[in-house]
Amino acid sequence: MDSSDEDEQQQRRIPISQRSEWSDVTPVPQNDGPNPVVPISYTEEFAETMDYFRAVYLADERSPRALLLTAEAIGFNPGNYTVWQFRRLILEALNADLHKELDFVDRIASDNSKNYQIWHHRRWVAEKLGSEAIIGELEFTKKIFSNDAKNYHAWSHRQWVLQALGGWENELAYCHKLLEEDIFNNSAWNQRYFVITRSPLLGGLEAMRKSEVSYAVEAITAKPENESPWRYLRGLYKDDPKSLINDPQISSICLKILNDKCNHRFALSMLLDLVSHGFQPSQDLKNAVDAHISESDPPDSDFAKTVCSVLERVDPMRVNYWNWRKSTSGYDSGV
Amino acid sequence: MPFKYFHIKRKNKHHLSLSPPVPFAYRWISGSSMADSSDLISGSSMEEGFERERHVFYLQMMYQLLPSQYQGQEINRLTLAYFAISGLDILGSLHSVDKEEVVKWVLSLQAHPKNDAELNKGQFYGFHGSRSSQFQLTDNRVWIPNGSHLAATYCAVCILKTLGYNLSLMDSESILKSMKNLQQPDGSFMPIHTGAETDLRFVFCAAALCFMLENWSGMDREKAKEYILNCQSYDGGFGLIPGAESHGGATYCAVASLRLMGFIEDDLVFKSVSSCIINVPLLLEWALQRQAEDGGFQGRSNKSSDTCYAFWVGGVLRILGAHKFIDEEALRIFLLTCQSQYGGFSKYPGQLPDLYHSYYGISAFSLLKEPGLNPISVLLGITDIAAAIGL
Repeated sequence: MDSSDEDEQQQRRIPISQRSEWSDVTPVPQNDGPNPVVPISYTEEFAETMDYFRAVYLADERSPRALLLTAEAIGFNPGNYTVWQFRRLILEALNADLHKELDFVDRIASDNSKNYQIWHHRRWVAEKLGSEAIIGELEFTKKIFSNDAKNYHAWSHRQWVLQALGGWENELAYCHKLLEEDIFNNSAWNQRYFVITRSPLLGGLEAMRKSEVSYAVEAITAKPENESPWRYLRGLYKDDPKSLINDPQISSICLKILNDKCNHRFALSMLLDLVSHGFQPSQDLKNAVDAHISESDPPDSDFAKTVCSVLERVDPMRVNYWNWRKSTSGYDSGV
Repeated sequence: MPFKYFHIKRKNKHHLSLSPPVPFAYRWISGSSMADSSDLISGSSMEEGFERERHVFYLQMMYQLLPSQYQGQEINRLTLAYFAISGLDILGSLHSVDKEEVVKWVLSLQAHPKNDAELNKGQFYGFHGSRSSQFQLTDNRVWIPNGSHLAATYCAVCILKTLGYNLSLMDSESILKSMKNLQQPDGSFMPIHTGAETDLRFVFCAAALCFMLENWSGMDREKAKEYILNCQSYDGGFGLIPGAESHGGATYCAVASLRLMGFIEDDLVFKSVSSCIINVPLLLEWALQRQAEDGGFQGRSNKSSDTCYAFWVGGVLRILGAHKFIDEEALRIFLLTCQSQYGGFSKYPGQLPDLYHSYYGISAFSLLKEPGLNPISVLLGITDIAAAIGL
């Protein structure tokens, strides 16, 4: 904000010292002490608002005007947790309408969607309202996602709502909708995993595994260069590598991608992963990998080492890593 | 120093404009990522290396005065001070800091219990991030809790160590005894006792504090370990809370905390996996995949590269012993596109710098062993020299 914008704001805003409803209050200035370091160039309206906040805070005035003042202070300084804390005390003291409080957060959320204090406050309000807040909270986070489908705070809040209050019914479908909009949305993939492992309405990871493997395979087929479904696929067998290497869907998607001859670095690393857990590649797979060998690759009868050689070439950013994997391919990578 | 001219004299109610007499300087130190200022940023030349002098100048400017864009972060002024001071230390320019005055200021932000009994009443007695959470109280205003904050406390101790202050001179007992009041049943930490979000960031702050104060009585390490393990995601990275998406910053907090607490060793990638409490191979591959095509590090899969993850994720790889697997040249090239011609680093290429990304950009260059930079203690977030100063 340059100085002309600040002037405009100053013209619109009436200083608190000129508002009759505050005439009985003496603002309390901040005591910085001598030679503070990293001093901040506070704007006048910021400084004044905080001076009046200090006054009501020290007087412990839990009144409607104090509530309005905290909103003003939050407008300037949404990270100030002391102001938020006092606002909560005032809301309780006034037995305020918490639905209106959710509206308040709605209004300031779009400019502050990455502010921890706002999300904590939202959670505090929702917790007090309990299950009647479910629909509103799911809608609220949806609105945030329409602007930024990966907002980390919003996803944490949504996960909290589901676990603490409920509302799982349409969550898997919602994940699917987001993935249709952007199949690269790793947050949506993560949420999908969250749902299949924790939803009380579904059967748990093992029960969901088969259909989820198909889901991931379909996403991989559409965009094999997309890391997310590959990680998701691997994650479906998190603590069960034996089932991983025995699932024909996995080896067959690797084969398919390798035969398509492009965007295959994740197929190769998945294959390496499988082999490290004792997977025996079929002749088709060996041929598919061999087809990617260039003249510069050293010949090797060891399948894992061959895969590493190809990876060194197709994923040059991580050439040192693949080289190391090659030399330790007898290594129990446990991936 | 010219910038003393801009120091605020609120009593006289001067209009706080930074426009004269150096308008361009105001714009470049404003710290906001406004694309419309591109006329001022001709873009760093690709032939440029790490411009140490420029960064020293930038940090010194921030140390002298932060523009009003930073007022929204003023509750965390200690953190901003930490970025400036530790940054100057990495750059070997700590001489420009008035050590005595800074130590005095930092210590003045400490919360002190009236007596020992208060330490068990649920409040945390650490450091305030700034005066705005610190209230001068007379005895009869007991309802006002002290507003000290765990992250501010970590930053305070980092600054004190950086300035060579003898930590045994300060009251660390109150910090350690009352820190337990912040630990939750699931092992995580809340940063303030009046209520806030709990996540891995504060587990790291607690672990780093106990490590620097050489006293683990401030936390239940086993419980903290359990919480961290619950944060490891299906793809090997760590989320900020259990169930959350793998994230570079969260992963740093997880791995650094485990190492500080002694639950994992150095150079894990070269050690036997069966005994390790975290899935190292999965973590390693996740972390390495965070280096994107542009050479920078992303915080999460399929997101844009951002300067600070060169430290967060680069740091994880360093702790694991896997830093040789990074394409260092590609990373340097990316980071240099985020280097501002006015000093400091921005989040994304070609934008205006801010203090946070500047500090982590400089830290990343230290990890890359840039000549002329002091080595950084990757576990603590201060220079090795500072870390070595004992109690």
